[in-house]
Amino acid sequence: MSPDEATLSLLAGGLLDEEDRAIFASLARMVDVADPVPEGLVDRIGMALTIEALHAEVAELRLVGEPALAVRADETSIEAGTITFTTDVLTVMISVHPEAGLIRVDGWAAPAEEIEVELHQGGDMTVTTSDEDGRFSFVDVERGPARLVLRRPSDPTVPVVTPQIEL
Amino acid sequence: MMSDDLVEPVDTALRDQGEGLADQAARAVLAYRAGETAPLAALVQVMTPLLWHTVRAQGADQEQAQDIVQNVWLTLVRDIEQIRDPRATLQWMLVTAKRAAWRTVRRSRDEQVRQTNDEHATDWLTAPAEDLPESVAVRSERDEALWNHVRVLPDRCRKLLGLVAMVERPDYAVVSRALGMPVGSIGPTRGRCLAKLRAALAADPTWSTS
Repeated sequence: MSPDEATLSLLAGGLLDEEDRAIFASLARMVDVADPVPEGLVDRIGMALTIEALHAEVAELRLVGEPALAVRADETSIEAGTITFTTDVLTVMISVHPEAGLIRVDGWAAPAEEIEVELHQGGDMTVTTSDEDGRFSFVDVERGPARLVLRRPSDPTVPVVTPQIEL
Repeated sequence: MMSDDLVEPVDTALRDQGEGLADQAARAVLAYRAGETAPLAALVQVMTPLLWHTVRAQGADQEQAQDIVQNVWLTLVRDIEQIRDPRATLQWMLVTAKRAAWRTVRRSRDEQVRQTNDEHATDWLTAPAEDLPESVAVRSERDEALWNHVRVLPDRCRKLLGLVAMVERPDYAVVSRALGMPVGSIGPTRGRCLAKLRAALAADPTWSTS
């Protein structure tokens, strides 16, 4: 039975009460459960905004070695094995090695100088500095999507950012 | 007609205005312009669910919705110096998200072979209660009654209630406006959508006796 117009108007003009708030609370919870925000979306947005804020030069990706090993069709980002990134100003090569459930990332940047290298994963960031030959490494890295941001002392205003890779 | 004693004291209304997402978004924009990015990062955490459900309510699929939500944030950051009234940021983002979702949904519908039930492009909040993830979604008979009454409401009411439920009171009007609903459709009074739901619940013994 549908309520008459007078009843509806009275209800509609009434102030929100505790029962309305309880309804909203239940509804919000059920909406979130029925259609949850995909896992990782907030982190990916955070990462994208970080990169955007850097006004960085985004490196192109070149796969080295056997592409069949390096790329997995069912992943949205690239499964890292050995990968090279290039820009006009910098070339970076990284290789990924599993180590006791975690991974180690070894990298090398050219032209060689002591480059500050950041590894971004979700909201987290780890920093290291390359040696004077441009070599750097990250140990005990979690698997998952990641980016490198490289800052060169010779041109600190333009950082180089790699595309997202799947470690 | 509403009598005077149903109107909230002005100071209460004003105080509430300062505690919602709209205000947090305004502060995040101003901070970002001043070179401080942490408030915006915090805003991404709390506001992405609302944007997500806003886009999903327009019928965008999971993949499309993720791209749209991310793009809304990127657009905000790219145009952040151009925002004249930072207090309008929340509304601007909701409207931007909604329109982007419309365009995407229309485009993908054009690309598809015409489907028979095209007018039901969105299934947002229309799944029967028994199809929801069990035990988590519906905790009680009351939840089940609530869900089943919400999902048979008119499309615009379902969207309005589902999205308003995600925010606090200072933001009710912003969410309503962004959805193209008249100002004041919810809060401080219930408005017609919530009134319909309350009337339906009052007539449901599962709801009123438990």
